[in-house]
Amino acid sequence: MNDIDRVLREDARTPLPDDGFSTRVMAALPARPRLRPWLQPALVFGSAGLGSLLAIALAPAGASVLQGFADLAQLHLRTPGALSAIAFGGALLASAVVLAIESD
Amino acid sequence: MPAPAASPSDAELILAVLEREDRRAFGLLVERHQSQVRTVLRRMTRGDLALADDLAQEVFVLAWRNLGKFRFEAKFSTWLYRIAFNAWQSEARKKHEVLLDSEEGSPAESLEMATEMPDVVARVDLERAMAVLSDGERAAITACFYADLSHEEAAEALGLPLGTVKTHILRARAKLKARLAKEKP
Repeated sequence: MNDIDRVLREDARTPLPDDGFSTRVMAALPARPRLRPWLQPALVFGSAGLGSLLAIALAPAGASVLQGFADLAQLHLRTPGALSAIAFGGALLASAVVLAIESD
Repeated sequence: MPAPAASPSDAELILAVLEREDRRAFGLLVERHQSQVRTVLRRMTRGDLALADDLAQEVFVLAWRNLGKFRFEAKFSTWLYRIAFNAWQSEARKKHEVLLDSEEGSPAESLEMATEMPDVVARVDLERAMAVLSDGERAAITACFYADLSHEEAAEALGLPLGTVKTHILRARAKLKARLAKEKP
């Protein structure tokens, strides 16, 4: 091994006395954030669901999600129902992507 | 006579913190890793002991807050060093632009001088020698020798291309050798 490598590694291994450092760290620790594991998915999907319900409620008459899926199946993509269905599916997909990224 | 209980591993202590918010377990992790984290930061801050300890405290507080994100794939110490490098970079950016991939630094010592190394190098000499390195060279040397990261891990932790890390290491070694040989009585 190169001499300079040895010198650096020896320096790195030389222990530093604690000198009260650990005590200071422990005194500075805040309460740990406690997010219940089910809360985040519930919030994300709840928001997406609420948004979708509002979109359906405010959509023009005759635009239901079920009708929208039927329209999509027949490749009628520009009917109000189809647009509602796309928005509904998009919101759920976005929620799933957010949760997947957050869980990484 | 019963055998003394083996000290718990880092993983066991981390699980105790995550499952029971066990501060004592975290205290053991701090005691176990404080020396290396503080040494890394002392080298990164050119021997500014007060700043290094402030940053080290910040590192452990961040680790406490974000322990849930630790994935057990890397060593806990490697994870801590990454936090330490980020903390140092944030601090350094407040003061000046950190150019980790820059070639600049103090004027390069003549590499031909780098032939001999003193058998015993005083710590203070090494600190002085480290201070002549550029930010990037010091970061690379600290990551690879003090934090014990591989070149690849150092490149990832510092956000630098692998080739740049290797170049920094070569240049830093040569500069340190030259500097320390010069200080040999």
